[in-house]
Amino acid sequence: MAITQRSATVVVPVGAAPRGARRLPWFRREALEGIGLLTPTALILFGLVLYPFFYAIWLAFTDKAVGSPGSFVGLANFRYVLGAPQFSAALVNTAVLTVSAVAIKFVLGMAVAVVLNQQIRGRNFFRAFLLLPWVMPAFVVYLVWRWLYDPLSGLINYGLLDLGLIGSPIAFLSDRSTAMASVIVAHCWRAFPFFAISFLAGMQTIPQEMYDAAQVDGAARWQQFRHITLPSLYHIIGVVLMLSTIWTANAFEPVYLLTGGGPSDATVVYTLLAYQMGMVNMRLGEAAAVSMLFLPLLVGLILVVTSLLQRRAH
Amino acid sequence: MREPVSVRILTYACLALFVVMVAVPLFWMVTTAIKTNKELYEDFSYFPRQPTIVNFVRVIQRDGLLINIRNSLAVALTTTAVTVVVSAMAAFSIVRYRYRGRDVIGRLILFKYLLPTAMLFVPLYAIVVSLGLGNTLRSLMLTYLSFTVPFCTWMLMGYFRSIPPELEEHAMVDGCTKVGALIRILLPLSAPGLVASAIFSFTLAWNEFLLALVFTMDQSTMTVPIKLSMMVVGDQYIWGQLMAGAVLASVPVAILYFLGQRFVVQGLAAGSVKG
Repeated sequence: MAITQRSATVVVPVGAAPRGARRLPWFRREALEGIGLLTPTALILFGLVLYPFFYAIWLAFTDKAVGSPGSFVGLANFRYVLGAPQFSAALVNTAVLTVSAVAIKFVLGMAVAVVLNQQIRGRNFFRAFLLLPWVMPAFVVYLVWRWLYDPLSGLINYGLLDLGLIGSPIAFLSDRSTAMASVIVAHCWRAFPFFAISFLAGMQTIPQEMYDAAQVDGAARWQQFRHITLPSLYHIIGVVLMLSTIWTANAFEPVYLLTGGGPSDATVVYTLLAYQMGMVNMRLGEAAAVSMLFLPLLVGLILVVTSLLQRRAH
Repeated sequence: MREPVSVRILTYACLALFVVMVAVPLFWMVTTAIKTNKELYEDFSYFPRQPTIVNFVRVIQRDGLLINIRNSLAVALTTTAVTVVVSAMAAFSIVRYRYRGRDVIGRLILFKYLLPTAMLFVPLYAIVVSLGLGNTLRSLMLTYLSFTVPFCTWMLMGYFRSIPPELEEHAMVDGCTKVGALIRILLPLSAPGLVASAIFSFTLAWNEFLLALVFTMDQSTMTVPIKLSMMVVGDQYIWGQLMAGAVLASVPVAILYFLGQRFVVQGLAAGSVKG
């Protein structure tokens, strides 16, 4: 089969070369065309995603620094990273940030979606307005929150003092007891609209007849939410929770821009630790090792989301 | 069926609470940008008493933010142009052609969509340096494709799937080639998807922080996010200028959002929830 095709293309006169392509059987021509269209994206995926991904795994086993080639050092980077007190701080902080922020965003996002799903006047306006924190650039949001938290001239301290709720200003971002909570609040403000808009999109596909029938049967509003709304949203809730867990666990900007990991590593997360080791200490091997230690968890999450998303697609 | 009054009161009370929650930080950003330093640091007031544009003038003249805006625009526009063309080709190929290996690429796109940049910035930095692209805008234009292309391809795949292939098949019966059918039939029909993917790639590139922080070193290549974050540590009384810069940085994204809001909301749903 392959041989006859090859000879068929060879006997085509040189002048008719463009027509020669037409003589390929349709399925081969189609395959070539499809692969051709895909090539730029495939190159980007292999060169900028797959290759760096495996290169990072290799880096984690070398003493590569900026400007030096680096040689294989076995597990030395992992021993170093696991022994560093910063690593356990980063592990705990990443977990605390992720779990509490995702929980708060879920509750807040669901509440906003329920309210926006009611018959309210100007619903489109409010939906657009409440999406603004998610639309704004993240770095802008965290710079604004840094200013809101400012111990000397920040709005939050002025407001709390005016209301008589505190006696003296609080250094929200440089006090160990408030730094992490402050980061979480700022992050939730930024990211809750993603939950709200996704849940709202799901709620709007639930047929009104289901609620009407429940009302005839005398179901209270809470029961309607519990037995109609929530079950219809299970798939969306699953996807949103997983996506948000991945994004939150890998967030860099909130911590970098608000606290820089301080005070004394109270808010350091793993992405910030990798940045500090790689870019501040210029030791890329150790930075890669930090990322690799979080990789198994991340890949596990990604595989779950992938199967959830693909089940929906088919 | 009419809602009971109590439910309506509760609904509007919650709505008011959410609106205030979102509005206060935005209000503070904008009013800080138009307050004088006296109002900001000595004589506190919730509302600006003498609105001024001096912060905008300072952030542009003294801090040279226009250079950073130009850098950000160059990177975001280049990334967007390349992304829309390349992603539309790839999405068309994956949705409408049959060949081996198609599923692998599809899965790889989804994997990258979910794999955060934080996992890749160390090797990407090593690659950028070894290509001799350290501290250049080209390093950002190149590496930003690693997240804009998978994201937009994934989104466009959803759009293309929602358009019945019969339309293109009719065109092909009439003598149109398959690629011709893409250009004449599928692309015009999926214009909302293309607009959304352009908005998304521009926004993703405009907002990107980590790679820009790692790759760029000085004022000539810094993008807006890095410039503003560097200003925080520079000076104690910087907040007027900084919030003016934050307003300027939000303007392009806000304009795109209000022009293309319908598409953005559809896109969010198509990319994340519907698949």
